[in-house]
Amino acid sequence: WQKVLYERQPFPDNYVDQRFLEELRKNVHARRYRYRAVVFQSGAVVQQLCSVCVFVVTWWYMDAGMLSPQGLFGAALVSSLLGYVLFDAVDSGAGRRESGRTRWADLKSTLVFAAFTYGFSPVLKTLTESISTDTIYAMSALMLLGHLIFFDYGANAAIVSSTLSLNMAIFASVCLASRLPRSLHAFVMVTFAMQIFALWPMLQKKLKAQTPRCYVGVTVLFALAALAGLATVSSVGAVLFASLLLAISCLCPYCLIRLQQLKDNIHGPWDEAEIKEDLSRFLM
Amino acid sequence: MAAGGPAGGAHSVCMVSDFFYPNMGGVESHVYQLSQCLIERGHKVLVVTHAYGCRKGVRYLTNGLKVYYLPLKVMYNQSTATTLFHSLPLLRYIFVRERVTIVHAHSSFSAMAHDALFHAKTMGLRTVFTDHSLFGFADVSSVLTNKLLTVSLCDTNHIVCVSYTSKENTVLRAALDPRIVSVIPNAVDPTDFTPDPSRRDDSTITIVVVSRLVYRKGIDLLSGIIPELCQKYPELHFLVGGEGPKRIVLEEVRERYQLHDRVRLLGALEHQDVRNVLVQGHIFLNTSLTEAFCMAIVEAASCGLQVVSTRVGGIPEVLPENLIILCEPSVKSLCDGLEKAIAQLRSGTLQSPETVHNKVKTFYTWRNVAERTEKVYDRVADEVVLPMDERLNRLMSHCGPVTGYIFALFAVLNFLFLVFLRWMTPDSIIDVAIDATGPKGAWTKQYFFGKKGRVKEELPSS
Repeated sequence: WQKVLYERQPFPDNYVDQRFLEELRKNVHARRYRYRAVVFQSGAVVQQLCSVCVFVVTWWYMDAGMLSPQGLFGAALVSSLLGYVLFDAVDSGAGRRESGRTRWADLKSTLVFAAFTYGFSPVLKTLTESISTDTIYAMSALMLLGHLIFFDYGANAAIVSSTLSLNMAIFASVCLASRLPRSLHAFVMVTFAMQIFALWPMLQKKLKAQTPRCYVGVTVLFALAALAGLATVSSVGAVLFASLLLAISCLCPYCLIRLQQLKDNIHGPWDEAEIKEDLSRFLM
Repeated sequence: MAAGGPAGGAHSVCMVSDFFYPNMGGVESHVYQLSQCLIERGHKVLVVTHAYGCRKGVRYLTNGLKVYYLPLKVMYNQSTATTLFHSLPLLRYIFVRERVTIVHAHSSFSAMAHDALFHAKTMGLRTVFTDHSLFGFADVSSVLTNKLLTVSLCDTNHIVCVSYTSKENTVLRAALDPRIVSVIPNAVDPTDFTPDPSRRDDSTITIVVVSRLVYRKGIDLLSGIIPELCQKYPELHFLVGGEGPKRIVLEEVRERYQLHDRVRLLGALEHQDVRNVLVQGHIFLNTSLTEAFCMAIVEAASCGLQVVSTRVGGIPEVLPENLIILCEPSVKSLCDGLEKAIAQLRSGTLQSPETVHNKVKTFYTWRNVAERTEKVYDRVADEVVLPMDERLNRLMSHCGPVTGYIFALFAVLNFLFLVFLRWMTPDSIIDVAIDATGPKGAWTKQYFFGKKGRVKEELPSS
């Protein structure tokens, strides 16, 4: 028996040969994950959860009047400068040389941003006055959740959109800032949101690529800080948050590896061929 | 005329598919040619499809092939919408009027075909299904459609595939027993595709491409091959027949490399013009990325061209090695294959078009397809149709706990609907249609001539 159609063969048409399905391949593209590697990668999710936690706790302190806007602004400014220096030091300026961006440009955009936020902070303060506080809380919670969902954790998926994610976080911060006592509070809150949701992930990404050990240390410290902060507000919340972080960094990788063994993906000659070459060069 | 009478008695077959003339394509010509050859062998055949624009109602084609164009709503890509129930009254009328014994559905993309299978099983008729296409397993849409195929085929009597690769694919997709799946290839009419070397311009080398210009046919690969080879061989010409969204890519390549005199884009071709285009070339190029059978390469080989094709799907099964050069689906591999063919052409070691035609002519004929399909019908006619309780059991045990129970419920509802329809209009008061098919049909009888003026005859290009 031959697998050809052009010859009449002395077998019935429904004959099933030994070689039936011999070209079937399973799990060709399935990846074998290592537990440690998955735990390391889950750090990105833990970091982002902690960022949201730190942001909300900070807002809580501001709202309760236990943290002065000047104090927060000072602390944020110092850590931002530290991060700025670190950002260039980690790869000894290679990234900056590549992008060709000058320090003057950095300073300019910082000043423009700070000036605009400061100028508009009275508007931000009164923007949502006519909206009920409950609505504001619900909206902020939703927006922060959306921020976590659409954040770019390094996965190549259609749902990932860092612009949308950042916009949702800033929207949440504007909502929450409008419930603070004065417009200076609102200004500091929005700047702080920018720092923690826009600048901090950039530094993290660079740390992760250049010094993985350092990144693990930073993640653990940041998580502990967030937990400690949350514990001062609500001990039950802190316990729940701790178990969430543990589940994400330890339990979820374990489940992924267990489920990966059950993967059953079928490939064979019937698959649509992929064009692997870059054909755009013919049109350049 | 008839090549031997039917062995197991004459069958009354109803072909159901959303795809039929005036729509053009592989499934359409398959249904038409198979029906014609079955009529020639003494069976009664009718075709049921949906209305195409103003073409609705009943039409008669060559040899009294009766076609029902049903007034059903087209949803997407010429496929009707399905509710699983709304087509039952119409289809039941047809099945009863025409005394149908076997329902033969075509193409897994056709919702009407699946509906007809479902109703035929409810009415206790025997069912055959022909799958014409390949499908993957990886993405969400294929997981869903494969599940529906499992439901549709789990209690179908017999399945026909067009190539061995297609059989493997269908068996896996629908979780079938491979012994109820037959492989019967497509065919081409060799008298339509005869070589004519005088139409070639032998001072140049012409590569012909005839396909729809879409991604799945690998037109992006073609856009890489054209500049690569045109720079190397100044006497090389390309002749591209077909239309589609990727035409713009080829036009850009032609513009970029100033090949207006050497790359001709002919646009959409009528079926009867394909041969006239093919005979102008020396080499036929097929760049498909997936293909269950590929009639185009058989047509080209029948016209005496050297075929160069990608090695995908069922293509390696279609032509013997000395008639086809198989390549990997990449620009480099296809260019190597074409260069090999050009070298053979220049040195004159290529077989003459006549020899190639005479070889290919014997491979695939519609008569052979009809003979083998008839065997499937004979086999099916001896089988029992599952009674209702066993059908429900099969659905529930075969299609998974959720889908199985849902469709078992649908099957029960469909049966109740049928009982209701039978109560409204009992089978006994539905008129039996006059059989007009075939040489012995009413069509040719004396008393029928008076009526002939009323019956329209459509002659599609066959």
